[in-house]
Amino acid sequence: MGVPGLFVASTAFIDGAAAQSAALGFEPEAVFVPHPIQDRTDDEIRAIADGVVAQILAKLTTTVA
Amino acid sequence: MSFFPPDGLVAIVKRGCPTCELVVPALRELAVQPMPLTVYVQDDPAFPVGLTAVSDTTLEASYRLNIEIVPTLLRVVNGQETARVEGWNKDNWRRLTQVADLGEALPDHRPGCGSKSVEPGMPEKLAVRFGDATIASRRVEVPPLLDDIEFCYEQGWSDGLPVVPPTEERVFRMLQATPRDPQEVLGLVPPNKVPLTVEKVAINAVLAGCKPEYLPVVLTAVTAALRDEFCMHGILATTYFSSPVVIVNGPVAQQIGMNSGVNVLGQGNRANATIGRALQLVIRNVGGGRPGEIDRAVLGTPGKYTFCFAEDEAGSPWESLAVSRGVEPGQSAVTLFAGDGVYAVVDQLSRTPESLARSFAATLKTVAHEKLALASEVLLVVSPEHGRVFHAAGWSRQRLLAELHQRLLRPGSELVRGANGIAEGMPEQFGGETAVSKFPPNGIHIVHAGGPAGMFSAVIGGWVATGSKGTQAVTQVVV
Amino acid sequence: MTILLDPTAELRPIKREKLPRPASLAGLTVGLLDISKARGNIFLDQLATHLAGQGVAVRRYRKPTFARVAPATLRQEIVQDCDVVIEALAD
Repeated sequence: MGVPGLFVASTAFIDGAAAQSAALGFEPEAVFVPHPIQDRTDDEIRAIADGVVAQILAKLTTTVA
Repeated sequence: MSFFPPDGLVAIVKRGCPTCELVVPALRELAVQPMPLTVYVQDDPAFPVGLTAVSDTTLEASYRLNIEIVPTLLRVVNGQETARVEGWNKDNWRRLTQVADLGEALPDHRPGCGSKSVEPGMPEKLAVRFGDATIASRRVEVPPLLDDIEFCYEQGWSDGLPVVPPTEERVFRMLQATPRDPQEVLGLVPPNKVPLTVEKVAINAVLAGCKPEYLPVVLTAVTAALRDEFCMHGILATTYFSSPVVIVNGPVAQQIGMNSGVNVLGQGNRANATIGRALQLVIRNVGGGRPGEIDRAVLGTPGKYTFCFAEDEAGSPWESLAVSRGVEPGQSAVTLFAGDGVYAVVDQLSRTPESLARSFAATLKTVAHEKLALASEVLLVVSPEHGRVFHAAGWSRQRLLAELHQRLLRPGSELVRGANGIAEGMPEQFGGETAVSKFPPNGIHIVHAGGPAGMFSAVIGGWVATGSKGTQAVTQVVV
Repeated sequence: MTILLDPTAELRPIKREKLPRPASLAGLTVGLLDISKARGNIFLDQLATHLAGQGVAVRRYRKPTFARVAPATLRQEIVQDCDVVIEALAD
């Protein structure tokens, strides 16, 4: 059950994601963006999103977008 | 449970006991009577001289027969004990054996000695050895030549400090402190959402160094931590400092020797130290919550080893924290608060409650950040020398809380992002408000504790995710 | 030889494989789940713009708080209404 998915986190959470994946027995697709996030301007956040769109689409589908 | 005592007379003795030496002539007399006699010896099968004895150096017979004193003389019919005498008592031995002139030359009475089967630590060993311990956890063998404590480190069971190796005997002894079924499930422990049994709590309580009598408090603390409103999963996973602060109220605190006085938030008391540690080890070992993995704290706090203390109720100007939270007076309870570090409030001059409350408020307003409001709850530990100021003035807990909330109101314009040249702060919509509360309505928790001298109190900030979006303090009655 | 009792959960999780991915997102609905960490909404707004620009249908969801797992109702809603889901943004 469920739908295929992907999560986006900052690079500070690569270890945490690995630990959680190991505990759950499930390794979801992940895209990591540069840390930090909290103190970014809106434009900086948008630029981060622009930078990973292609990667997200590629990981969500079997064909490269 | 395949042990049945032989029919007839059964005596349990040990060479190391002078009373057992004393009764040897009586045993020799019994050996030639028609009723069969079986003599079990706990320490030296060559004793008693002149009699054929059965070795009980494994203590199985002594354990199965519940022997507490040697010598003990039993009468057994069809595998069932029908009479028992402990120590030497001429009349009682004669009555039990129906030998009218038994031990004529012996004194009338001589008390016996302790059975080897009840020496300290032995009942647990025997229960484990002879199969009465119903422990379900996996047995792990420590490889030969490897130190037990080092092995525990290698397994990843430690928080960094040495742990007490959880042998079957120690865990069995721990479990004797609760009437609860070892396999009873207390709930799902985060972060891995694992069913937590009483037995797993007991094993981790052993690791932490708890005495068995602490177990009911540990079980209560763990149960409280699993309550949804406490949000242990989030507290563990957050990048913030927070960790459970365990506050114990009621008679159990004194019964198990907890510290509520001098250095109450510091080191040195076994119950305080190990109860808080046991909770942390349950999260680590059963829940799988380890730092650097799911635990993402940027800095953490020393309280993540352990943070547990008792309230000084006898010296308090107020009803206890637990009672203020709805627990019946006289009941024991555990309150959990997701706290960070200990922050000092110095006030050595205030002699009025108004002045002292203002000092408290001055520190309380800085929790997390002076410009952040409604972000967390807070725990205020009022020391005896501060408490007496409120006592003398007749200030109730409610009166002090009302004063603090009032003193902590700030105009939104001082708090919004950018105000005072500081980018951090409240979102813009707070800018127009005239009075923004620092804490949620029930977000200030007051507890009375500490040594008799020193005009200092302590502020312990809460996790900056509060209420339905994060954590709320929880109180759980000890059962 | 010393025998110790295992203080851990003794559980080994059952390995679950990832669900098969669609060949492309054309004609599918993509759910965007905001975990409620600050700034994540800006990121997802921008992502939504990109997806819409490619003709992909987008539905937006939000966890009530980052501090807790998503409620079951929200998870069901996403499964029912979406073909794929993107969760963001843990920082």
